Amino acid sequence: MEDAVNATISEPLDIVKLSLGERVFMKMRGDRTITGTLHAYDAHMNVVLSNVEESIHIVDVNEDGIPQAPRVERRSLEMLFVRGDGVILLSPTQ
Amino acid sequence: MDSPASQPDEPQQPVAGSPSDFLKNIVGKKVKVRIGSGIDYHGLLTCLDGYMNVALEDTEEWANGRLTAKYGDTFLRGNNVLYISALEDL
Amino acid sequence: MASTILPLELVDRCIGSPIWVLMKNEREFTGTLMGFDDYVNMVLKDVTEYEVTPEGITETGLGQTLLNGNNIAMLIPGGKGPRA
Repeated sequence: MEDAVNATISEPLDIVKLSLGERVFMKMRGDRTITGTLHAYDAHMNVVLSNVEESIHIVDVNEDGIPQAPRVERRSLEMLFVRGDGVILLSPTQ
Repeated sequence: MDSPASQPDEPQQPVAGSPSDFLKNIVGKKVKVRIGSGIDYHGLLTCLDGYMNVALEDTEEWANGRLTAKYGDTFLRGNNVLYISALEDL
Repeated sequence: MASTILPLELVDRCIGSPIWVLMKNEREFTGTLMGFDDYVNMVLKDVTEYEVTPEGITETGLGQTLLNGNNIAMLIPGGKGPRA
């Protein structure tokens, strides 16, 4: 039952600790997702990432209030600080 | 004064049925975690803490009844958690 | 001052009984209260989740559930939910 992964994860933030130096995927409030290399984190889930791609998922609404097909805006960032309170999810992208 | 439940950092056995008792029993089980926006995360509960931060294994993301993503290990920040529900008997 | 009761004493008396939980948004839950803590995080069993929208009420059945106290607005002891 106790495999190698479980043995090293005793609290949720251990997932973040084990992802230091790795590429991670983060889901943020406000329909944003971020992929980057994790350099630092703290208990608030403030994080520092490098070589970041940010995707913003947008649903436009036309004059009649009809939602249009969703679209994605992307941008690349060299180095990024993310404030913890916007974070929903973090997952390493092995 | 009879307190309704013991806090997680207290050494004695949690009161049966209390949140800390529930958290003790649900680790290692298949769970559904619903976040405030209505998105569900299904997975094996690796562990959690007093903030309701959650670590899941073999995670599936479900939105509007559709499977929208799969992740391996996942950290979910506790402030977004609406509930943690057992998908198997405890 | 003989008959005062603390709010959480009322909740404590609901343990083992049905309870109806109203959240700060359009979400509601019914179930049997197993326990709770100082933040009023609640453990419920035999749970039904209700989403109340203008189009109607959608129901979801849940097993044993830990409900985050953060977004709870009101508790109704013995309440049978929005359909009753």
